[in-house]
Amino acid sequence: METCTKVTKDWLNTQEYREKNFAREKLVINPAKACQPLGALFCALGIERSLPFVHGSQGCAAYFRSTLSRHYREPVSAVSDSMTEDSAVFGGQTNLIEGLKNANTLYSPKVISLFTSCMAEVIGDDINAYLGNAKEQGAIPQELPVAMANTPSFKGSHITGYDNMLKGLIECLATPRQEDKINNRLYVVPGFDTYTANFREYKRLLKVMDTPYTLLPDQSDVLDAPNLGTYEMYPGGTSITEMNDALNAASFLFTQTYSTPTTRKYLDSKEVTVEVIPMPIGIAGTDKFIESVAKFTGKDVPEEITLERGRSIDAMTDAHQYIHGKKFALFGDPDLLIGVVSFLLEMGGEPVHIVCTNSTPLFKKAMESMLAASPYGQGATLYAGKDLWHLRSLLVTEPVDMLIGDSHGKWAARDADIPLVRIGFPITDRVNLHRYPIVGYSGVLNMITMIVNTFLEEKDRTSSDTYFEMMR
Amino acid sequence: MFTNLTKLDLKDKKCMSDAGSPKLCMKALPGEGAERSCAYDGARVVLMPITDVAHLVHGPIACAGNSWDNRGARSSGSQLYRRGLTTDIMENDVIYGGEIKLKKSILEIAAKHDPKAIFVYATCVSSLIGDDVDKICREAEAELTIPVISVNCPGFLGDKNIGNRIAGEVLYDRVIGTAKGSDERIPLSINLIGEYNIAGDLWGVLPDLKNLGIRLQTAITGDAKFDDLRSAHRASLNVLICSKSLTNLVRKMEIRYGIPFIEGSFYGIQDTSQTLINIAKALNDLDLLDRTLVYVKKKEEETRETIAGYKKLLENKQAILFTGGVKTWSMVSTLAELGINILAGGTQNSTPEDFQRMKKLMDPAAQIIEDTSSAGFLKIIAEKKPDLIVAGGKTKYLAHKTRTPFLDINHGRKLPYAGYQGMITFAETLTRTVLSPVWGHLKREFPPREGEQDD
Repeated sequence: METCTKVTKDWLNTQEYREKNFAREKLVINPAKACQPLGALFCALGIERSLPFVHGSQGCAAYFRSTLSRHYREPVSAVSDSMTEDSAVFGGQTNLIEGLKNANTLYSPKVISLFTSCMAEVIGDDINAYLGNAKEQGAIPQELPVAMANTPSFKGSHITGYDNMLKGLIECLATPRQEDKINNRLYVVPGFDTYTANFREYKRLLKVMDTPYTLLPDQSDVLDAPNLGTYEMYPGGTSITEMNDALNAASFLFTQTYSTPTTRKYLDSKEVTVEVIPMPIGIAGTDKFIESVAKFTGKDVPEEITLERGRSIDAMTDAHQYIHGKKFALFGDPDLLIGVVSFLLEMGGEPVHIVCTNSTPLFKKAMESMLAASPYGQGATLYAGKDLWHLRSLLVTEPVDMLIGDSHGKWAARDADIPLVRIGFPITDRVNLHRYPIVGYSGVLNMITMIVNTFLEEKDRTSSDTYFEMMR
Repeated sequence: MFTNLTKLDLKDKKCMSDAGSPKLCMKALPGEGAERSCAYDGARVVLMPITDVAHLVHGPIACAGNSWDNRGARSSGSQLYRRGLTTDIMENDVIYGGEIKLKKSILEIAAKHDPKAIFVYATCVSSLIGDDVDKICREAEAELTIPVISVNCPGFLGDKNIGNRIAGEVLYDRVIGTAKGSDERIPLSINLIGEYNIAGDLWGVLPDLKNLGIRLQTAITGDAKFDDLRSAHRASLNVLICSKSLTNLVRKMEIRYGIPFIEGSFYGIQDTSQTLINIAKALNDLDLLDRTLVYVKKKEEETRETIAGYKKLLENKQAILFTGGVKTWSMVSTLAELGINILAGGTQNSTPEDFQRMKKLMDPAAQIIEDTSSAGFLKIIAEKKPDLIVAGGKTKYLAHKTRTPFLDINHGRKLPYAGYQGMITFAETLTRTVLSPVWGHLKREFPPREGEQDD
């Protein structure tokens, strides 16, 4: 028995197995993506008194809540209309109407963010018509806004669902654009970003730069709520007033590309000015963000920011020798990967394997051209649509020094005997990481700290007395 | 905050049934919340701890992507059961059907992952698009040397309990009794039904069984190996530890194989002893019974002595207990053992019998939690202001926001609480939870302010 297990495990580590593994067509093993409705739920949490409402089977909603809750260690509010077998036959209208009525009575939301899970999508429920009927029957008041998104989990991933819900929320809440009523605000859309500290960092930078802004959506106070002794179901989010005025924005700035195309297209169609930049991770990424904001305000970049940038660059010079020439494997969402890879290249780190389960052709092109443009990107391959079992094969046949990704990567890292630095979602086995920004100049500091200290810790724990040193 | 309404205001006020217990396992109302999981999850919970088999989810990414390797069921051997295997149904499969994809996936797993068997889980989507999972499993099995077992558990069938039950049926129909060798009864051997080895619970009980000369044929399904499950029909006794929804399984095993069953619990000193004694009695071995009576007395004394220090620290604390299944009543006596008073107790996924048993054990003044939604839970906390809450992880962060110490006793925990050893761990962990200095910081007003309250 013992030998049998061993043979299998050894075989799993061979080049031969890697080839067989990559020839795999249908089966997915250890997927590195979540589903559309999870993204929609996350998005919906970022609006003032918005109640996420899952139209579908009840188990889906319980899964989303527990995934988010385990990552943030916070309660996550959502309701489901618990469709069952009879709804599959007769359609989900009864559940939807009763659900809206009960949810509104129990939780008094300012907006209900309604999205679907698979069941409703497969049977083809017309949620728009159902909502009309619900209001007509007086189940909920006519004036209660209900934002809608179709989010089947058999299409796209959590970032698609985020995008669809965001578009639904703007569509539902924003009044039509009026050229004489354009406000002076910059609407910043962070995208599917699970770092509450990133949101706080954006807000801090915008404030320092004296920018009238709205962060849309803003989950930071919802998923990192202070403990004040009572549970507050709706502790924050972008205000309804600012949502109402969204289409009159002076401009929109998107800090993620691949989690927002549908929303951007919608804004374009409403003739709203839209700018999109890569996620501001690393020095160049952050520079771009600061420049975009400065261009919007027309003001000089304050000295406070130049000093901050200088300190981060100083930290890079202090620590470059620990990252330069080191080999990395990464997995995660497209926007995050673009950001983290660009930071590694700035430090002379060499990405080797980049696995993106929810890759798109546009992302692939962008990633490949970024890699091609850097001397440190020459050895890198992007594996689009692959899973963490593919990643495992890559790590054991073509070793690297470190894996960067979410908690799901811990098996592959363990099998390859390399450290895992946790950046991404979900992180369910470490505390507080979402409370440290990875964007902005301070994000540069945090990433250097995480990556370099992990290497050094590894060295201290494994080196012999001869090479055990006070200075590293 | 919530409006003052709770779930119960939405329906018939007469929610207490004749027997005086709330309507248990009541279907969730649309829009009341999203605490309840589904039939698919229920089936996974029961079957997933089987360690040396592959668990393949035939569904979209939601079903497997959100649930692979998400429970603390421990294995002493193979880790294959934790691999997240799915067909990842996409739009094209919804249109053209996913049967070919499923078949290929099964064959792929058999060829490269060396499982003893493959369990294939149907989901809402695979069922709605009409994929015949049973048929594909039969076809694949014909080409392979291992069993390929379909688990027909789409989430829309209802609550978790239904899924538990389906899993029990699957084990009965396809696994138990299929071993090749002897069918002979093994003397003094038992199955522990509904013990999932969460955080290693089973391993807290095994030493006691061993010391008494009782042989564990298999747990169903904690740390279970497929071959041991196939021979589960050779055990002399079934002990139903948790999950009343597996009652159908033990009843059927009694009819087909003549294996009697008893119910028991390994949470707390009293229940552990009582269960061991009941096992000895049911095994009908006087010598074993004598040994057991002496053994439990000794263990009880030892354990009480060890936890005496914790008891001193916990005595007269006021608790809210909110759990399901056997823990409903078993935890009442466990807390009582530590001198903790229960202010209110509630249950989800329990049977009326479990509930009645809990009620009998509790102080008559203790309140029954009827509304099991978040709203109801918060209302009880606000009213009772307990020193601690003992419940499942879903309410943990809600409780923390109210600054109430909280101990997770369901699958989210990391430490084993079963058996005598588990009681010591439980007492120690509970003490650390309740007496943590963090609660003190939280309660200090800063800066001192005047009577401002949340609305």
